[in-house]
Amino acid sequence: MSEVKKLRVRLTFPQELIKEPVLFRMAKKYDVMPNIRRARVTDTFGEMILELEGLEENLEQGINSLREQGVVVELIEGDVIE
Amino acid sequence: MKYVKGLKCRECAREYPIEPIYVCEFCFGPLEVVYDYTKIKKVLTRRVIERRPKTLWRYKELLPIDGEPQVGLNSGFTPLVKAENLAKYLGVKELYIKDDTVAHPTLSFKDRVVAVALTKAKEFGFDTAACASTGNLAHAVSAHGAKAGFNRFIFIPATLEQNKILASIVYEPNLVAVDGNYDDVNRLCSEIANKYRWAFVNINIRPYYAEGSKTIGFEIVEQLGWEAPDSIVVPCASGSLLTKVWKALKEFKEIGIIKKVETKIYGAQATGCSPISTAFKQGTDVIRPVKPNTIAKSLAIGNPADGYYALQAVKESGGAMEDVSDDEIIEAIKILSKTEGIFAETAGGVTVATYIKLLKEGKIDKKDCTVLCITGNGLKTAEVLNGKTTEVYYIKPNLASFEEALKKINEKKGR
Repeated sequence: MSEVKKLRVRLTFPQELIKEPVLFRMAKKYDVMPNIRRARVTDTFGEMILELEGLEENLEQGINSLREQGVVVELIEGDVIE
Repeated sequence: MKYVKGLKCRECAREYPIEPIYVCEFCFGPLEVVYDYTKIKKVLTRRVIERRPKTLWRYKELLPIDGEPQVGLNSGFTPLVKAENLAKYLGVKELYIKDDTVAHPTLSFKDRVVAVALTKAKEFGFDTAACASTGNLAHAVSAHGAKAGFNRFIFIPATLEQNKILASIVYEPNLVAVDGNYDDVNRLCSEIANKYRWAFVNINIRPYYAEGSKTIGFEIVEQLGWEAPDSIVVPCASGSLLTKVWKALKEFKEIGIIKKVETKIYGAQATGCSPISTAFKQGTDVIRPVKPNTIAKSLAIGNPADGYYALQAVKESGGAMEDVSDDEIIEAIKILSKTEGIFAETAGGVTVATYIKLLKEGKIDKKDCTVLCITGNGLKTAEVLNGKTTEVYYIKPNLASFEEALKKINEKKGR
């Protein structure tokens, strides 16, 4: 049984996904709770800083599905390997 | 006397006490150290600084510590070399190299940030220091941590080359090689940093760690006779160094050490990992993460935490960003070596090559007084030059053989 985890991430949406309810669909399908803290959306890009909470395996599947659709998912810490 | 007021979110300006935290609980923005400049102005003058030992700690009031320095007591105050040969080679008027290839003790500017991070970690009462790194940061945490008596955890991707591992493991830290790609290592380290009470220098200690980079800016000004140069070229990985060099100049002005700052800040990246430079050139504020593919490994940060802020600093100063190919990097390493006798790592090649490109594009004036920040030693990345240097003359142990070689050398010279 996997445990409940929280992950703070930055999502960058390509232009073609801006009008799609990508996050809602992912949250519903994988039972992941998004908690949005900051967002910026223009006609050419979308950016969102948020926390995702859910079972570890659901989080992983949810994030993978976002990536498969073309959303860039990165930790808010940036790359910590220097 | 304490000169630090607290931490402040760079996004929403919410304030926090001095603790090992790095992100705003509300908007997830990064936290930054805020100082009491009115107090600092009263105690920190040119004369006070000049009387102190030649280390980075001579600017200690502008660094985020409460007590006396405890780590890296010999770090900083590297030479500012007047690069007359390189200036002549490039046809420019006044050029300097801020030479962190000789940083103490691990030959890169990471000695500065780690000196500050681990002094702060001592103040917080940590007994374990940690980092995730493929090179310079690992070396600095391993070495400074050894001297300061920290238990050390260094995380590296399992695919890291042997010579880079050796330069860390010789200090006997706990070196943990993670079997996974860079994303996996990033995610794991972030998780570990949030679970264990360790001083993870570039995660939970990041606001303090990053401040150490300001000392490059302070030193440049002092070594130029208390004047800010016309332009500074800074290599960009996370973008933190560039933002802190800019902050240093502004702080010196704020406390009255210098009267004016008209310096333009230029950011240098490798084309194979250029998320900040690309955003600058496209005229957008959005830093799109990339998968790095460059020989400049110490700058290979595809998702730069301070990219946005570096971009703002460049724009605010009136500077520019540019990026260069791996071939240009190697050529620049060789130019710097043969003109100034300074052997820089690939990041130094990026800085010099970017400068040359910016000169050609007319974005930096040939009449400017320019400083190039060379942040690490070439011996760390010597393998990139394999097969790309001039030839060795192999001879027999007799005079005739030597003279034959000498003839070849002279012929080559005559050409």
